[in-house]
Amino acid sequence: MTDSHSKHILSIMVDNEPGVLARIVGLFSGRGYNIESLSVSEVDSDRFLSRVTVVTSGTKNIIDQIKAQVRKLIPVHNLIDITELKSFIGKELILMKLDIKQKTVLNIYKHIKNIGAKILFEDKTVIIIEFSGTPTEISSLIKKMKVYNIVELTRSGLVSMALGKDYIRR
Amino acid sequence: MIKKLSGARIVIEALIQENVKVIFGYPGGAVLPIYDELFKQNKIRHILVRHEQAAVHAAEGYARSTGKVGVVLVTSGPGATNTVTGLTDAMMDSVPVVCISGQVPTHMIGNDAFQEADIVGITRPCTKHNYLVKEISKLAESIHSAFHIAKNGRPGPVLVDIPKDIQTFETKYRGKKYTKSFAFYKPKTKPSLDTIVKFVNLLEKSKKPIFYVGGGVINSGSRASLYLKKLLKITGFPCTQTLMGLGATPTSDDQFIGMLGMHGTYEANLSMNKSDLMICIGARFDDRITGKVSGFSPKSKKVHLDIDASSFNKSVNVDLLIQGDLSKILEMTLKYIENKRISFSKENISAWWIQINKWRAKNCLNYKNSRSIIKPQYALQRLDFLTKHLDPFITTEVGQHQMWAAQFLTFNKPRHWMTSGGLGTMGYGLPAAMGVQIAHPKDLVIDVAGEASILMNIQEMSTIKQYRLPVKIFILNNHYMGMVRQWQELLHGNRLSESYMDSLPDFVKLAESFGATGLRVNKPGEMDDLITEMIKIKGPVICDVVVDPKENCFPMIPSGSTHDQMLLGPNDKLEGEISEEGMVLV
Repeated sequence: MTDSHSKHILSIMVDNEPGVLARIVGLFSGRGYNIESLSVSEVDSDRFLSRVTVVTSGTKNIIDQIKAQVRKLIPVHNLIDITELKSFIGKELILMKLDIKQKTVLNIYKHIKNIGAKILFEDKTVIIIEFSGTPTEISSLIKKMKVYNIVELTRSGLVSMALGKDYIRR
Repeated sequence: MIKKLSGARIVIEALIQENVKVIFGYPGGAVLPIYDELFKQNKIRHILVRHEQAAVHAAEGYARSTGKVGVVLVTSGPGATNTVTGLTDAMMDSVPVVCISGQVPTHMIGNDAFQEADIVGITRPCTKHNYLVKEISKLAESIHSAFHIAKNGRPGPVLVDIPKDIQTFETKYRGKKYTKSFAFYKPKTKPSLDTIVKFVNLLEKSKKPIFYVGGGVINSGSRASLYLKKLLKITGFPCTQTLMGLGATPTSDDQFIGMLGMHGTYEANLSMNKSDLMICIGARFDDRITGKVSGFSPKSKKVHLDIDASSFNKSVNVDLLIQGDLSKILEMTLKYIENKRISFSKENISAWWIQINKWRAKNCLNYKNSRSIIKPQYALQRLDFLTKHLDPFITTEVGQHQMWAAQFLTFNKPRHWMTSGGLGTMGYGLPAAMGVQIAHPKDLVIDVAGEASILMNIQEMSTIKQYRLPVKIFILNNHYMGMVRQWQELLHGNRLSESYMDSLPDFVKLAESFGATGLRVNKPGEMDDLITEMIKIKGPVICDVVVDPKENCFPMIPSGSTHDQMLLGPNDKLEGEISEEGMVLV
């Protein structure tokens, strides 16, 4: 068995029914697999299908085992390992609330513009910005904005898609 | 016009459509409407157990001895939670079971209502799938898909949780044929031909092959056993079977070299260790089979035939995977061999057989018999000798007696051996024997038990009495939790912490109090008479076979060791200390 760990992005098409997320998450925790990021949402409201994106890591054997176990779940229609495709994109979304009461924040607007983030809300005390990007870009944004007073932030799990013709079948 | 039926009635109608003849259950508040419908019909027989765990084991015994789906009916809350051990057992041993549980009415769910338990949440990891039926329109579909899922692919338990209000609501039910989308689950059953070609190529080239056969062959059906028997004959290869696989092909066959694994035979384990080609058919490289994985059959090419893709490369990496229904894989293999006129030269493997026969000559199951005290092995040898001609169905509890039964009994037909392999559930054997006996009322059914295990579901004597089930309970009574004691002797400095069975009941009187016959034997010379009498008695019997309290089960591969590091008897000492890695293994 090879021992090198690698990160994998799994895209899973499931029936959007009660408990389906618990089945997937329970499988991971019950068998001791790792979930680094998770995002779920309905993508086909006619056929009640949800798409789950799980970022996990492990040796080749563990990743193969995870895929086989997930595929065995009855509500799972399809699973693709996006990381194994030629090329793909992966994006996260972040919302960040910044305190702007102090005068030192005068150049904050310039900063936000440079980064390419959007301002969603502002009043005399706070602004909320929105930014989407790769996990690395998001992490670097958080680091940069630390010079200001971050009141709170929230970031989504990764959503991902293959580039080119590849796609997950329903 | 189709009449509207209540949910409870639909449950019964759907079970009838699934050809269910027997269900094992226990009533309670949340399933009263279903029990009411049961009362009004006579197509389905209900067996009232005395504990819900036993209902599942009985359904398992029924399922494993017939190949049909076993059905359980229990109430909400404690009724449902009591099934968890049984469902987990069925999950681990791939037994098709459908468990229907009552639930508090939908509007009460989540309110901590009386006898409410989130059984769908609780059983999610121990069922193949489960349903909470929240709408009457989904009821029939859920039940039919439960049966479909339980028996297709790798079999397993499915639970259907039905709130009480759903049982009383009404809707139209037109039968299984008209129930939409219950059969969406379609596991891969047909292998690709090129893997078959590769497989046969490996078979041809091997000089030291071994068939490693598991319970999957039995689950695949009688045709799989037949094809495997044929393949064994054509190739002349040796064959070992797992605890779950015993009887897949006759164990009296000369090519059968014994069970493998922790308490397997010397020849089977060494053949696994030294082979150059291992053909795993419907088994899963369980830790009881492999021992220390890094030293498991280091030089062999490995082929794995299974319907369940998640069994591939799970603990042991294999060279060729063939996914599909075993009877289809074996049938295609035989056809290919026939079409290509491939013949297997016995010369190719003659040196291998000479080696195996040398290992066989060690006579590893030998034990020192006694004239004054009954050795458990002797008791089972006599049981085998005196009952073999009747093709008995054997169930067991869990422990030393179970391993000795696996070693010393003959299994010439599939579906005649029911034991808790994966989960190792003490208390499995008695209720499982009830299920077997219900399915085969005229046949001899024997529960080989230990005095500790039997007490875990002893309340089922009452069920046995009620339905006049002539189950024979063969207790090897050594006054210890024998396997626990054996490990304590071997690994924990002989400190026998809590493994002595004090204050045992008088099993003869216990039998009599339930209207059964109780027999006791102390001397080896009386063993045969006891067994003969036991068979002759028409009703249930408890045999209290008082055996040597000190006997241990050999051969044994201590945990964390490899197949070539076996202990063959009480005089074999562990080489050095058991590694820390081995100590933490179960």
